[in-house]
Order: sequence, then C-alpha cells, then structure tokens
Amino acid sequence: MTRTLALALTLVASPALADVPNALTTHLLPGFHAFSTASTALAASARQDCRAEAVQPAYQAAFDAWMAVGDLRIGPSEQGALSIAFWPDDRGFTGRTLSRMIAASDPAVNDPATFAEVSIAARGFFALDMLLYDPAFAYEPGSYPCTLVQAVAEDLAAQAEALETTWAGKFTEALTNPGAPDNALYLTEEEALRAVYTQLLAGLEMTADSRLGRPMGSFERPRPRLAEAWRSGRSLRNVVLSVEAAQALAHALADWDLPQTDAAVAQVHFAAGNIDDGSFQDVTDAVHRLHLEALQQAVRAVRAALEIEIGERLGIAPGFNSQDGD
Amino acid sequence: MIRRRAFLASLLAAGAAPSLSWADAGSPAYLAAAREGDGGFALFGLDRGGASTFRVPLPARGHAGAGHPTRAEAVAFARRPGAYALVLDCVQGAVLHRLTPPEGRQFNGHGVYAQGGAVLFTAEQASADSAGVVGVWDVEAGYRRIGEFATGGIGPHDLRLMPDARTLVVANGGIATDPTDRTKLNIPQMRPNLSYLDLTGALLDQVELAPDLHRNSIRHLALRDDGLVGFAMQWEGDEGAATPLLGLHRRGASPLLAEAPLGDELLMRGYAGSIAFAGDGAELAISSPRGGRLHRFSDGGDFLGAVPRADVCGLASLDAGYLASDGLGGLIAVTPEGARALARHPVAWDNHIVALAGGTRPF
Repeated sequence: MTRTLALALTLVASPALADVPNALTTHLLPGFHAFSTASTALAASARQDCRAEAVQPAYQAAFDAWMAVGDLRIGPSEQGALSIAFWPDDRGFTGRTLSRMIAASDPAVNDPATFAEVSIAARGFFALDMLLYDPAFAYEPGSYPCTLVQAVAEDLAAQAEALETTWAGKFTEALTNPGAPDNALYLTEEEALRAVYTQLLAGLEMTADSRLGRPMGSFERPRPRLAEAWRSGRSLRNVVLSVEAAQALAHALADWDLPQTDAAVAQVHFAAGNIDDGSFQDVTDAVHRLHLEALQQAVRAVRAALEIEIGERLGIAPGFNSQDGD
Repeated sequence: MIRRRAFLASLLAAGAAPSLSWADAGSPAYLAAAREGDGGFALFGLDRGGASTFRVPLPARGHAGAGHPTRAEAVAFARRPGAYALVLDCVQGAVLHRLTPPEGRQFNGHGVYAQGGAVLFTAEQASADSAGVVGVWDVEAGYRRIGEFATGGIGPHDLRLMPDARTLVVANGGIATDPTDRTKLNIPQMRPNLSYLDLTGALLDQVELAPDLHRNSIRHLALRDDGLVGFAMQWEGDEGAATPLLGLHRRGASPLLAEAPLGDELLMRGYAGSIAFAGDGAELAISSPRGGRLHRFSDGGDFLGAVPRADVCGLASLDAGYLASDGLGGLIAVTPEGARALARHPVAWDNHIVALAGGTRPF
C-alpha cells in the first residue's frame, strides 16, 4: 500500500528539482566543517603527545570525517584533495619522501609555510598512515619523526580549514551563480548540477576500481599491499564510508526518493559484513577474494542505480570528449 | 621522387582558381566539429567572439579538419579508423568531394594544405601494420590522389606544415591499431617519434624520447612562426605515473619536456587532447578532457597554471591567450588574467578547433 502510494506520488511529481544549494547547505559545507574540526583536534592531539598510539584515535576520527567529503574532486577539492589524501601511490612516493626527510632531518617540519611546500606525497593522511602504523617508521618521543608527525597533523589542519573556507566562499559562489559574467567554470545551472552529480559517479567508480580493484589485482596475482590505508586498518571502512557519503550527497541533491540507490547501499553493507579482514590483506585467499568481488559488484550497483534515479531523470549523459579520446 | 617534386612545383606555379573566399562564409577564424542536440553532427565556422558563422551537416562524428588557405573550403576528417574525408563548400554547405583513402590505407584524423592550397597532405596508416603514410592529393585536379610517402613511424596522428612552408612535421604516435576498430596492439613495444619531412617525403630529422617514456604517445602539434614545435602526449603506461604531457622542440636541438607540479600532473590523468600556442606566441597550453582542465606553460617549459573546465578539449590561439571548447557547448577565452565564457552553443564540441588562415595564425 505504502509502495503504491509512493509510486503514485512519483508519477505525479513536478519535473525533477535537483538542488545544488541544498546539497551545499545540508551535506557539503557541514561535511567540510566537521572535517576541519576533526583535523584541528588531530593537530592538538599530536602536539600534546606525539607517540603513535596517542595520536591514532584522533587520526582515525579525522579520516572518518574526511571520508564524508573526501571523494570530491571539484573546485578547491580538485587540487586540495591530493595533498590531503595522496593515494593511490603506485610509485611509492610517500614512503620514499618520508624516508628522505627523516634521513636528512629536513628542517621543513619547523615552519608551517615551508612544510606546505614539501612534496604532496609527504603530506596528509597517507603520510600519517605510514608514520603512525608502519613498524619501519617506529619512533620515540623527542625524535625527528615525532616532530614530523606533528608537522603533518598541523599542516593537515591548516589544509582542512583552507578547504572549508574556499568551499563556503568562492566555490559556493561559483556553483550557485552559474552564468555570472566572471564565472567561466559553470555557464548554466545544469552545468553546476552536472558537476556535483558526476562527483557521485566518479567517487563510486574510484571505490570499485581502486579501493577494491587494486588490492584484488588479478585472480592469479592479488595485490594486498595496494589496499588503501591498510596499515591503519581502514581499507574496508573507507569503502563503506565512501558509499555512505555518495548516498547522503545523492539525497541532498535530489528532492525525490531514491529507492534503488538505497537498496543497493543496503547490499553494500551486507557484502561488507562478510569481509573478515578490514585491511584486505586476506585477498590472497580465493574465498576471501570472492567476498571482495561481491562487494565490488555491490558498489557498482549503487553507481548504476544513481545513473537511473538521478542521471537519466535529469538527462545527464557522460562527457563527450572525456569518454572517448584520440 | 624528382618527377613528383617537379609536379608539385608546377602546381604551385598554377596558383588557385578564383572561387568563393572565407569572407563569403562569414569570415570565420576557426573550424570546429560538434555533435548537435538531436544527435546529428556538423562542422561549424566560428568567429573570434565565439559566434557561429556557418554550419555544414556531417554524416558522422568528425575529428579534426583543415581549412583551405584562400577558398571557403574545408576538409573534415572522420574519426579513426577513417574511411573517408569530406571536402565542404563552407558557403553553400555542399559536399564538394568525398575523399577515400586507397585500398589498405586509412585516414588518421588530421591533414594540412600546402603549396598555397594546391596540395593536401593527409595523415594515414597502412591497415595491415599501422605504418605511417602521408597521402598527397592534388587539390586543383579535384582532390585526386597523386602519391604518398612514409611518415617514419607507426600510427601517425597530427601533421603540420612548418613556417618555412617546405617542411612537414608529423606526430608518429607509435601505436599500432586493429584495422577494424581502435584496439591497441603494441603498447609494450610502442616507440613514438616526431618526424620532419620535406614535401617529397625525404626524412630530414627525427626525435625520440628517452626509453622510459616510450609509452608516451606523441599525438598533437602546435607551431610558432619561428619554428618552435609544441607536442602533446598521451600516456599509455600505468595510471598515476604523472609523466610530462608537453614537449617543445626546435630542429637541431634536444626536445624539452615540460612538467607540471606533481598534483597538477596527476589531475591531467596522463592525457593531453589538444595543444595551441597563445595568440602572441609567448606561451602554450594543453588540454585534458579527462582531467577537465588545461595547463599553461611558458615557451621555456615552465608551468604557468591550470584552468578548470569540464570536458574541455579543443584549443586554438586567440589574442594573448586561447580559445577553448568543451563537450558542454562552451567556448571559453583563456588569458593569463583568467577565463571568460564567450558563448555556449547547444552542441557538444569535438576534440579540436582548427584555426584558419587569416585567423589567429596560418598553418
């Protein structure tokens, strides 16, 4: 009965009203604010006690907060996300850069402005993932790595604050004033909407292809060490949080129900429940690998549901040139 | 070889027959292909303000084109693997000629007029093994195929006429493809190069990149009046390698690779789709539709900054900057001071904008 009523309401609903301003005020801007608050707490924690086990809880909390907005790659996040979450890192830039800085006792750690200029690979969450969790980087209080942890945390807090400020200011301006004379980023409302919508798809694609696909590798050659944040045990958690973030943004963007999307997200939770190792290090086992595959399919199903429930409804097709180069 | 050279010289002497000029087509400065709202395709003439001056329907998706230096006549090339190219009358909108490559050859999307418009050179490859070929067409004889010569590489893409008007520069992308589709066959062995040929096909100069960059396909070219060549590349190796996507070359010197800072380079996603010098020649830019951005560099290879724009690809010179087109229909003027929307058409602009003679710079 309820379902029939809901269906009837959908059918008589006025043309789809997707609402970028609503997505900003109810999901995006609060998300960046929460991330900034959590990063400030992380910096304070590191300042107070730089030992790995003391900093780890605030690191985990800040990473959780980041995941609510971390898959966005538009506006200030296009560039900003890279120095906050430098991953994937196939060439091992992060480990190499950190080792080099430690070996040379790089004085950049003593000045925030100088530290903001170091390689993006040595900044943000993935530097901390290594410094706080990799035994190869174990350190004592008062040592150089201890100061390095404090500098990375401090820099992350500054980045989070800058990101929040630019999102709330200049970029909200660009998204909500398409077609303004000085706005060459978004020429129409549809373009702004499309920009936010495509972030949903891209984030889920990244989760399926990289967060899951990289450690899965091929059946003959799984690559557990390519899992995201496996040292800090966040690989599975990040998959689930990224899907939940996409779901929340989708609901903030659409003023209609998204039953297929919600059902697909429920499947993601179910599939995630079957996975034993939150770091995906058991992917080398065929049975465990199957569970990852099921999770990957569930994530792709969320993407497909969004394409139907939002993309098709708004008539947004994939990019003409980006899909097909030459 | 000598006979062909003599023949080309005689074509030059003959000059172009009187015909409708670009002024009759509304004096466009650019040509650009697009997909229209109804799913059809067309070639447009654009003025420097981004307004359309003419529109000629195309039977299928186009890639790039070439404008005749004097007559209002343009060649529109089909996408790879190209089975045809159309010579269009840009005033009447009529198809003047349909060019078909000889048996065993296919068009690769680019071409260029030379000898004052008496000859058309087309980038082609042998269907069997992707060996690069420049097709030679006698324009005055109604675009008759009169010969061909090797490009000095596999899978050529863009080709241009150097400012001396006697030398061709060809981007041999290095990728062998299946003749029926675009499946890449030789990625582990690919070896792209930049080749300079005279108009009879003699190889004058050839440039290869370092071995660790052999998967960087050299695909598109931009020229400055003093002979500086910019080349844009597409990385066929691992994602996230952040290799340089722009090179600068001057004959007789080593190529210079221009890199953006790591974060910016990663955002290009290993792909540069178009390249152009700024109208004043002081800088140049490459675009990445995959990254939704274009990168500006000085002529010395220094990174000058990024301009974000979704699905951006087409690039041409405009004033002290560039005209950029995108799949959302936007035409954006980019200058060192910033970006400004000129127009938005209800079309999806295709990969390239072709600058016309009498436009920003002749080719």
